[in-house]
Amino acid sequence: MCHESQIPNPGDFFLNFIGEESVIATRDRQGRLQVLLNTCRHRGNAVCRAELGHARSFMCTYHGWTYDLEGRLIGVPGYKNFYHENLKREDWGLVKAAKVESYKGFVFATMDPASPPLEEYLGDVGRLGLGMVAAHGDVAVVDGIQKYRIGCNWKLAVDNLFDWYHVQVSHASSLAAGYIRPPPWTSMDHIVALGEYGHAIGGPRLTREMREQLAKQRQTADSALLDESWRDRPEAQEQLGAVGVESRGHPNIFPNLWIASSGTQLSLRLPHGPGSTEIWWFTILDRNMPPELRKAAIMRANHTFGPAGMLEQDDGENWDQSTRAARGTVGRRYPLNFAMNLGRGVIRHEPSGLAHIDTHISEHAQLWTYRSWAEWMAAEDWDTLRSKGRAQ
Amino acid sequence: MTEADPTVTAAAMPLFNRDLAYRMRLQFLVEQFYYAEAAALDQRRYEDWLALFTDDVHYWMPVRRTRTSNELDQEFTAPGAVAYFDDTKAMLAVRVRKLQTGYSWAEDPPSRTRHLITNVQILDERDDRLSVTSNFHVYRTRLNSEEDSWIGRREDVLLRDGDSFRIANRKIFLEQTVLLARNLSNFF
Repeated sequence: MCHESQIPNPGDFFLNFIGEESVIATRDRQGRLQVLLNTCRHRGNAVCRAELGHARSFMCTYHGWTYDLEGRLIGVPGYKNFYHENLKREDWGLVKAAKVESYKGFVFATMDPASPPLEEYLGDVGRLGLGMVAAHGDVAVVDGIQKYRIGCNWKLAVDNLFDWYHVQVSHASSLAAGYIRPPPWTSMDHIVALGEYGHAIGGPRLTREMREQLAKQRQTADSALLDESWRDRPEAQEQLGAVGVESRGHPNIFPNLWIASSGTQLSLRLPHGPGSTEIWWFTILDRNMPPELRKAAIMRANHTFGPAGMLEQDDGENWDQSTRAARGTVGRRYPLNFAMNLGRGVIRHEPSGLAHIDTHISEHAQLWTYRSWAEWMAAEDWDTLRSKGRAQ
Repeated sequence: MTEADPTVTAAAMPLFNRDLAYRMRLQFLVEQFYYAEAAALDQRRYEDWLALFTDDVHYWMPVRRTRTSNELDQEFTAPGAVAYFDDTKAMLAVRVRKLQTGYSWAEDPPSRTRHLITNVQILDERDDRLSVTSNFHVYRTRLNSEEDSWIGRREDVLLRDGDSFRIANRKIFLEQTVLLARNLSNFF
């Protein structure tokens, strides 16, 4: 839904989606998080039409039905004369999310009362993913969410976040222009962790030696992005564990929340039908970052992802063209190849219970994501998903 | 932050005490400068375009949000927060180099663009610096049948350079909140 820092006070709200339906994430007078379906119970009109802001209540602009910050119907014009005080207002509140929970400040909601508790849903891998942001310190979302639409299927945009194969070709122009440098890691030493319910992390191993090398490079002006020294703070080591500290791959919280760029940006890939995806980018930084470093980190975030991003301009082009080019009658008869280094890694179990694959660059995480999606679409209930969703 | 209202700002400016001939000449020079800039972009002469900026330029396009009328003062993100463009001259030069590599896929095959610049208003002239607002319509078509269209306003600080100018600061305000194009691989 959002990060708690976006709605610190009662009445602050941020609009998001559950599926393709608009919901209001807000905080009530008691300071509790609320997620309300943004549709009036009288004629279905949206009761909130700004992307974010501050409200005392949500009034429908059609006939004036008014709801408080907990979604209760508190105002009905003509309650006495037209409804003869017979309307049971307590039955006509906004539809509320069945569950709203936050983990390390990240707010999640579901419409399904049978869904597992958030911590269980996230599992080891999802918690590690959000931990990579939280381990930066006292983090807060920087003002401004970049939002834009690509004519691609949302799953292609998710697939890409595990993809360390495309960089040399998709981003050849950013390498040649000197915007990104060849990184210290190799394609022969990757960590992949596949989690319950479809979460995954996959990408290069960032060893202590590499982190020290990057810290030296950080002396140059344009290298704020490559600052990985946060991983060596004791709190981060404790939160992330040995695998998390070394994992430079991007985590995905299934289905569509990407934790990117070493834990300072997050992206939602919001489906609008099978052929259109709205991409949202959040930048999230430690409030106590030195001002110069903060400025550099925000600029680097502004330059890298999003529609004008040096990297994402070219990604979007490819996802859009993949969606258009692969959906033909003949094209759909033939499978796409997901074979790279499958089954060639070594599965390891950490004492914490986290399982991971030590592998060369591979397509394990992409395949896991598509498999999980297929299981979600077919599963009748959470128990079925739970029994299938075991990586080990 | 919010967009300043150019007409209100303009009324108090010393430029409006100058005679009409002076203002018409200045208006002509500024408009010709913008037309030449637009031609450089539409003809993909990116190095010529880059040379129009001062070395200390800030080229900036903030994020715009749909807000209620009582919160319109927070419609745009402030400088230093998240933006679409937040570029120094060096960053603009990197973008130009990227376009010239031959593997900038979002622009290869290249887009066909047309920059239409209108409603040019010189708001202020102090020493050799002009404050100018203009509207733009950037039309882009790509590949066989793809179309994008951006309409917005630019707010420039122009530095006099003989009978021409250099752009010392550019703010770009788009009308869209959720951007409906799949990228911003072009300049404004």
